[in-house]
Order: sequence, then C-alpha cells, then structure tokens
Amino acid sequence: MAAVATTQHDHAHVATHDAAHAHDHAHHSVSFIRKYIFSTDHKTIAKQFLSTSMFFLLVGGAFALFIRWQLAYPGEPIPLVGKWLPDTLVSNGAVQPGFYTQLVTMHATIMIFFVIIPMATGAFANFCIPLMIGTDDMAMPTVNMVSFWLVPIAGLTIMSGFFVEGGTAAAGWTNYPPLSASGTGHTLWVIGVFLVGFSSILGGMNYLATTLNKRAKGMRMFDMPLTVWALFITSILQVLGTPVLASAVSLLFVDQVFHAGIFIPENLLTSTGGLFPNGANVGAGGGGQPVLFQHLFWFYSHPAVYIMILPIMGVVSDILATFARKAIFGYKAMVFALMAIAFLGFVVWGHHMFLSGMSPLLGTTFMLSTIVIAVPSSIKIFNWLGTIWKGNIHFATPNLNALGFISTFVCGGLSGIFMAIGPIDVYIHDTYFIVAHIHYVLFGGALFGIFAGVYYWYPKMFGKMYNETLGKFHFFLTFITFNLCFFPMHMIGVGGHMRRIHDPYVYEFLKPFQPINQFITIFAILMGFSQLILIFNLLWSLKFGRTAPRNPWRANSLEWAAPAHPGHGNFDRDITVYRGPYEFASPQSKRDYLPQWIRPAHVDAEQEATVVGKH
Amino acid sequence: MFDFSWNMLTYFPPGISTYSESLDDLFRLVYWISAAIFVLVQIVLVTFIFKYRTRPGHKSIYYHGNNVVEFVWTLAPTVLFAGLGLYSDEMWKVMKYSSRVPSPDVEIDVVGQAFNWHVRYPGGDGILGKRHARYRTAQNLFGIDPTDIHGKDDIVLTGEFNLPINKNVVVHLSSVDVLHSYFLPNFRIKQDAVPGSWIDVWFNGTKSGKYELACAELCGSGHYAMRGVLNMQSDADFATWMDAKITAKKAILAAQVANPQPEVATPAPSSATPAGEHGSSH
Ligand code: HEM
Ligand SMILES: [Cu+2]
Ligand SMILES: [Cu+2]
Repeated sequence: MAAVATTQHDHAHVATHDAAHAHDHAHHSVSFIRKYIFSTDHKTIAKQFLSTSMFFLLVGGAFALFIRWQLAYPGEPIPLVGKWLPDTLVSNGAVQPGFYTQLVTMHATIMIFFVIIPMATGAFANFCIPLMIGTDDMAMPTVNMVSFWLVPIAGLTIMSGFFVEGGTAAAGWTNYPPLSASGTGHTLWVIGVFLVGFSSILGGMNYLATTLNKRAKGMRMFDMPLTVWALFITSILQVLGTPVLASAVSLLFVDQVFHAGIFIPENLLTSTGGLFPNGANVGAGGGGQPVLFQHLFWFYSHPAVYIMILPIMGVVSDILATFARKAIFGYKAMVFALMAIAFLGFVVWGHHMFLSGMSPLLGTTFMLSTIVIAVPSSIKIFNWLGTIWKGNIHFATPNLNALGFISTFVCGGLSGIFMAIGPIDVYIHDTYFIVAHIHYVLFGGALFGIFAGVYYWYPKMFGKMYNETLGKFHFFLTFITFNLCFFPMHMIGVGGHMRRIHDPYVYEFLKPFQPINQFITIFAILMGFSQLILIFNLLWSLKFGRTAPRNPWRANSLEWAAPAHPGHGNFDRDITVYRGPYEFASPQSKRDYLPQWIRPAHVDAEQEATVVGKH
Repeated sequence: MFDFSWNMLTYFPPGISTYSESLDDLFRLVYWISAAIFVLVQIVLVTFIFKYRTRPGHKSIYYHGNNVVEFVWTLAPTVLFAGLGLYSDEMWKVMKYSSRVPSPDVEIDVVGQAFNWHVRYPGGDGILGKRHARYRTAQNLFGIDPTDIHGKDDIVLTGEFNLPINKNVVVHLSSVDVLHSYFLPNFRIKQDAVPGSWIDVWFNGTKSGKYELACAELCGSGHYAMRGVLNMQSDADFATWMDAKITAKKAILAAQVANPQPEVATPAPSSATPAGEHGSSH
C-alpha cells in the first residue's frame, strides 16, 4: 500500500510504515512554489508563521534595545549601529526624540501584532489543531494560505513607514487620535493593522470550522486536549473582537484621509498653531470624540491580550501534564476557566481608560469586572500546581519553559490586580509599572509558553530533535535576565517613572533612577543576545539534530500518532479516539501513559509499536 | 544619595496631598496581599518541583482532580478579590465622583498644548470668563469669549504656576491639540487632558514647595519634555503672588485702553450658545 511513500518530503523513514496513506500519489507534481511558498498544507503554513514571527521578534527586539540604550545613556550614540542610521533618526548616532516615539510604537506594534498573535494563533493553531484532532488539514486550506500571506504584506506596509515623509507611526501601539490622525506613517499603520486583523479573522474562522467539523472518529469536545480547547476559544475571540478593531482603524482612516472629524473635536490646533483640518470645523458642528476611538480600540485590544495568552495556557497545560506524567488536575474546570476568561474579557476594556474622563460610575463597574477576571486566572494557576502535585516531573526544555511560565505569570497576574483597582491605577497608569505588567504577561507569560511549545513540537514539525543542552542554557539565561530586566520596572513605576519618554532625566524626581535604568538595560541586552542561542539551536538542529522518534515525549494526544515528520495528509493510519488526552499513569496500561488512539483491547501490543525510539 | 531596594514601596515620591497617604496605604495593602500570594505560590511551585522530580523508582499517581478543592479555590480568590474591589471603591469615589468633589476654594483652567502646560486664573474679579472651542486660536488657547467681561482680566501662565496649600483646588482640564495627561506625582493625581472635553480634577496640597508636573500621555516627539512646575505656597504668600499678577494684568489692560490695538481676529459666535458648553464658572 505504501508504495510511493519514499517520494514524500517526509524522508525515507516514513516508508517503513505499512499503513495506508491516501494522499501519497498527489506529491509527484507539486511544484516547489506550491509546496513551500504558496502552500496550503497546515504544517507548512504553521512553519511560515513561525519563521516570520521569529524574524519580527529579532526586529522588535533590536528596537527595544535602542529604547533601552537611550533610557540608560541618553544622548550617547547607539553602539555599533548608531553611526549607520540616517540623520533624520539620530543625531551623532544618538536616538532623537522623534525616533524614540517611533521606536516605542514600532516595538510594541511588531511584538503584539507580528510576533505574539501570529505565533500563538497562526503557528500553534495551524500546527496543532489538525494534528491534535486527528485530521488531514484545515477545513479551508486556501483561506489558511491567505491568512498567512496577509501577515508579511501587513508587516511590510507598516515598516515602509520608515521611508515616507514624516517617518513611521509614532503615536504608540494604541495609536490614539488626534495624534495619530495625520501623517502618512499613521495611515500605513492603519492599513497594516487592518490587514493583519483580517488575517486573524480568516484564521479564526478556519480554526473554528476545523475544530467543530473535522475531529477524528470518537472524539467528543471533551476529549480534546486543552491546547485545542484554548485555540478554539481564542478563535471565537478573534472572530468577534477583530472586526471591532477593523472598524476603529477604518474610522481613523476616514479621519486621516477624508478629514471626517469622527475622532477630532471642533477647532483643534496643530503643532504650528493652525487649525486641524476636519469635518467638524465646517459649519457649526459639534465635533468628534477622541475617546470613542479608545473604546473601540480596547473593546478589541483587551480580548486581544487573551488572544495572546489563552493558546499559551493550553500549550502549557499539555506540556505540564506530559512531563509530570500526570493527568491535568480538573480538566473541565480548566475548560470552564478558559471560557470565563474569554467571556469576561469582553466586559473589562474600560480598565485601560480609567483616566480617559469616562463616568466614574463606569469606572467602578470596570474595576469590579476586571478584578473578577483574576479569579479564572487564579483557578488556572491552582490547577497547574495540582497537575504537577504527586507527579513524576521531567525537566526537558519544554517543561522548564512551562514551569517558568507559571512562575512569571503569577507575577503578571498580581500586578494586574494593582492596576485593576481604579484609584491605584490613577497613580500608576502610563508609568513603568504598566510596562512591567505587560512584559510579565507577554514575555514572561506568552513568550515562555511559545518557547515551550516550539521546543515541544519541534520534533513533529521538523522530524529532528533540538539540542537539549542548548535548550536548557537558553531557558536559564532568559529566565534570569528576564526577571532582572523587568522586575525593577515595577519599582521605578512606583517611583512615578512615566512610559514612552525619551529622556526621563528632564525631571528632577526621575534623576535618581538612572542607575536602575542602566541595570535594566544591561540585562535587556544580555536577554536579547540570549535569544541567538534559540535561533541557533532551531537552525542547527534542522540539519544536525538527532532524528526524532514518532512520540519522543511519550505523550497521549493524537499528533504523536502521526509519523515523526508527517507529510501532506498527516496520518498513516486510521485514527479513532477511545479516551481523553490525559491518561497518564493509568492502571489500564503497564506504561505511564495511554494514548488516545490505542484500542482498548490492544493496549500493550499497540503501544509497543509507537514507543519512543522506534517509528 | 539613593538607596537601592527590591521593595517597591520604598520608591514613592513624597506624598503631599490630603489623599496621598490613604492611596499609599491602599497600595501597601494590595502589595502585601500580592506579595503573600506570590511567595506562597512560588514556594509551592518550587517544593513540588523538588519533591516530585523524576528519579529512579518514583511514579506519578493516576488522578484527575477533585471538585471540592476546585470549589474552594474558586471561592477563595473570588471573595478576596471582590472584597478588595469593593473596599477600594471608596477611594475611587473620593478621587473621582463629582458628588464627592469638595467645594472649590481655588478654581483654575489648565490646557495642554504640545509641549507645554497653560494655566488660567480668574484674575481680579475672581471669576473665570466664559470659554468655548469656537473662540480658540493660537493666541487665545482657552477660547475665552471676547464678549465676556469676566474674561478680560483672566491671567494666563505657561509652565510654572502657584497654588495655595490646604485649599481645595479644582482644575478644569482640557487640551488644545492632542491627548495629554496631567500628572502630579507628589499629589498622586493623574488625569488625561482630552481635547473637546473639560474634565475636573481636584486635590488639596498640604506642604509648600516646588513640585513637578509631568505629561503622562504620549503627545509627540517633545512629550518627554512637557514638564511644568507647581509652586505650593502658604495662603499669605500665594495672595501676595496673585496680587502682583493681578496688578500687572491691570496695567496691561489700562495700556491697551489708552493705546488700542486692533483686536486679534476671533471668529464671531455664529450660532446661539449651546447650553452647558459655555464657560466654567458655576
Ligand atoms: C489577572 C489578570 C489581569 C488583570 C487583572 C489585568 C489588568 C490590567 C489593567 C487594569 C491594565 C491597564 C493598566 C493601565 O493602562 O493603567 C492592563 C494593561 C495591560 N495588560 Fe493586563 N491584566 C491581566 C492580565 C493580562 C494578560 C494575561 C495580558 C496579556 C497576555 C495582559 C496584557 C496587558 C497589556 C498589553 C496591557 C497594556 C496595554 C497598554 O496600555 O499598552 N494583561 N492590564
Ligand atoms: Cu486589559
Ligand atoms: Cu505628553
């Protein structure tokens, strides 16, 4: 039956399987372009998302280091690169104020829209959903391809702002008007965000349709691994939330290009003292309302922070269970907690706007709803601890990153409580306390989870094992430098240090913080360069890594039933699901795991066939 | 001169408003609760990692969870966090609810303009003249109504301004261009300045001295340098300072009457004054 298996891009080892593979014969004619560039295969698309995001991670990281350099050593030339930058951005190699605001804007825009969201959803949803529900591909493969290609197009659109008159977007990643209502750079930002949002909607629809319709025989919703549950719920957020972002930026576009004055109040002055062109100035108009944009923006962007963390919570759950050799503690509670976070996520957006001048009564409401959202987050932490309790914990790199995630996410969640409390937020809003929070949840949380997932599925993605020593080295370096870089930001935040300021030392009360800023910068640089170890490991192992077995982690979910480096169509056997994904240490098996696809009557014999080391 | 500490509570700038102390107390409360939770979770995590690490002969148990435990650890944070929220709401009301703003002893207008703070005092007659956006020009940032006699003697300052201690100060805050945020770290007060809206901020400073006013909302390339200075003075000193300003303004007005200048072009009100939008004096 497996006559043509050797022609798969799977390499020869797949040929050893005797199971049927219905898709093999299609592969002779697939051109290089269709296979690697305009591919509709979910695994290739996942890798495209992954590599694109990795590229943007380096760009965004470089911007962050420019920012840090300026805060630690204001006015001094950026080492190495400063002298190569044009005079419109730097003076004598040192960051100019205008360039600084562009840097903070582009750093956050890239990290949020082009790194974390595409990784958490694009890469993981694409790779994991079909494999983990035991199917051959997404429900809509072509839509899937479009969803990827919108990302680099959007990225180029936004980055091209660096080459237009007036420079790139510089109003923060939140891009509030009126500041963002003029300038070509801001218009490009709006177009780029619209496109990347469109990618997110297309992806989300696809993930929903796939999860609902394409699960393997016998797989009920409550047989799905938490990664799939989390991605499923995230997709609902993407589909419901992103159109609101699209409407916000579209209205902003109308203001920028046609001067409609939707967000622009009457008789506004420009920096030169002239009148800001807008519709509200024509005739006796009432005028637009800038705060409206903030409502629309945060109605999406608060759920968006959950788009960035929910998939990661799923990934971390699966990794913890696998490496603790123990079932998830409270599987259903975990699912309900995900749903609760997603639902509550739509009623808390106002906590970003405590100071926008909205009714204080509304502030009370948002304060209470926000504080309640900490409850499902706590439930998740407790259940993770319950999962490793009485486990048999292995410390492979994916698990180190997952444990690191728990440790840092607790800190990010707790700093969230401070800011959720309106009166405290009055003081710490727009200070480095917020910056600390963002990075504890998005770097310490989302990015550690992404690292965990990338290491965990690397064998299935590329058929090779990554280098464990380098992996551990990367984790410990990142974990230590991360905490030393970001924890002190809480402290200067309490000291009143504002965010997004080019030179803090204009203020007397911030002058004493320069040594702390230098401390932070040193660890930021070390942390940044530590990521080269990751990149090196991932690339080097592609060629020199040990060949991966089919199920290297002795895990239970369906992706490990597929060949080590699955080809188009994924599975080389019929998949039927007989049990949940977390049957670790089950009394029904001699081994400490019992995969979902093993027939109850054949537990030992069949498991033997997929055991580690053989494929 | 500067002591490094990992305890963030040591970093507050000196608080000098009537509510800065209660706000710091609230912060400390949340800090100690969070620190306790944080340390507890990390201890449990590290203990489990150590105790249940893999080693020869060690096995995990087959266990899927326990509903009683789930219930307890759902209820506990709900009670704790909701309680904290309800408790903090009182402080929020004090700072923000208009019904709780004390009757003002001093009222001023403040507008942000990239990259400066402008302040308007009521002048000799003690009344802020009416204002509306339609009168706003680069020369008349507050949009003072040229037909209102109370506006003529209003005093406008930029960057540095004075206020008396132990008085309830109400600031009517707005912006003439983009968003800014009025941040007085020592007073623990911050409020976005939103163009098109006038938002009230109140505080009562208890100590004289010079305090920095910062802009906390990104407003353009000069944002970082949008610094102001607030000079808190005793009642008597403030009165002296104010009188000098009023006298100077009178002199300017008198000179204008003697030697009239062509009026700076201000568009005439084109329609009937919309109710409520006009002026700030109550
Ligand atoms: C326990 C849960 C959480 C609570 C109570 C919470 C609360 C808050 C609050 C109140 C703010 C607004 C602060 C301000 O601007 O003054 C905020 C900002 C933010 N949060 Fe959270 N948060 C939580 C979890 C998360 C998670 C999981 C993420 C992302 C994965 C996240 C990402 C962000 C980001 C990016 C901002 C800053 C947005 C900006 O102004 O640039 N938060 N959070
Ligand atoms: Cu939020
Ligand atoms: Cu500013």
